[in-house]
Amino acid sequence: MATLPAPTPNALNERLAALLAQAGLGNRAAFADLYEATKSKLFAVSLRIVRERHIAEEVLQDSFVNIWNNATKYAVAQSAPMTWMTAIVRNRSLDIVRRPFLEVQDEDDFFAINMEDERPGPDDQLVARRDQVKIERCIKGLDGEQQQTISLAFFQGLSHSEVASHLGKPLGTVKTHIRRGLLKLKGCLES
Amino acid sequence: MKLGNPDLRSRLASEYVLGTMKGGARRRFEDYLKRDAQMRAEVEGWETHLTPLTGRLAPVTPHPRVWTRIEARLDAVTARASAEKKTIGLWESLAFWRSLGLGASGMAVALLTAMLVLKPVDQGPMLTAVLAEDNNVARVFVEQPKSGMLMVKMVAPWKTMNGMALELWVVPKDGPPRSLGLINDTGETKLVLTGMDEKLAGGLVFALSKEPPGGSPTGQPTGSVMCKGAIAHMPPRLPRSPI
Repeated sequence: MATLPAPTPNALNERLAALLAQAGLGNRAAFADLYEATKSKLFAVSLRIVRERHIAEEVLQDSFVNIWNNATKYAVAQSAPMTWMTAIVRNRSLDIVRRPFLEVQDEDDFFAINMEDERPGPDDQLVARRDQVKIERCIKGLDGEQQQTISLAFFQGLSHSEVASHLGKPLGTVKTHIRRGLLKLKGCLES
Repeated sequence: MKLGNPDLRSRLASEYVLGTMKGGARRRFEDYLKRDAQMRAEVEGWETHLTPLTGRLAPVTPHPRVWTRIEARLDAVTARASAEKKTIGLWESLAFWRSLGLGASGMAVALLTAMLVLKPVDQGPMLTAVLAEDNNVARVFVEQPKSGMLMVKMVAPWKTMNGMALELWVVPKDGPPRSLGLINDTGETKLVLTGMDEKLAGGLVFALSKEPPGGSPTGQPTGSVMCKGAIAHMPPRLPRSPI
């Protein structure tokens, strides 16, 4: 695997879409390839929300059974395969997550990273670089509190009140940051 | 109920995708999504925009037991559903129609079929079917008088088609429905098609779907099923005994 040249995002998207279509026809070998190609990225997405490996493993199991059962429906989705699969994993993570003790990681460091300095490895090609640059640019256009609240919610799956208690801010203030941040983000993404 | 306010719609879609919408609200919104295609598009738009953020996350390899368990669950499901073949396409009720061959559509249709079939057979049709609505009202009669041709008779026309076309399909035992062409919404339609017999081979059910003028744009049924009925294949006709 490591000796293969990293595929371009488009070729990879097409390959994933073809594997999904095959899975929809009941092809288990294609489904195994689909799992191999995406498991580490999707596991990372879930782990960040549910925090515990054994819960993230459950999420991944449930999600892939769901992907198998709904692969024929992917054809009518308008989104890229990785977007569709990530949504399934995020939704399952958000459904399953129980947080008796709130330990939130700080997202501030995340935004301190200068994106231009990062070199994506082959796995990172699962996300088209161009799309990532666009959303990053739009996020950077938000003010600091909007960035922080939206990032906490997206990566760690926090609710409004969890974000509020983590930041020690009133709930109403957090809701406003998120609502205005999303509005501004929408304007930027659609421009 | 449909949510009308555009700002509210956008806010709900974005907070659903962002993940701040939780618990009961999330489940209610998911139920609502099933009924509002526009809102689904809005959600997909946000997913497309936000998902690339995950490019920041370093991949984490899950334990191999995860795949083993996924396979075990698929095996269990396959074993349960082995009787029910997977079908492709948007017509999710195919399995149900296929079961019509067992007489599920009721006595009225069965009787009518019997009456139509039980006539002198020396020049009888190769196959017949009565297509009925779910409430057993018979609408259409189909027969194949000879190879390569179908006669379709509208027994009880609908009041209005609102400019929509009616397309006839044959549903085989396996695989997607095959189009046999458009039919008139009143009177009789003669369908003559090259490869007709190949299309009909192994056909279990005829179904009539409502389609845009000119027929289905996709080659598969896109509109609602107006009526359907099991196909009765007649035994091959033997030459009459000279006695």
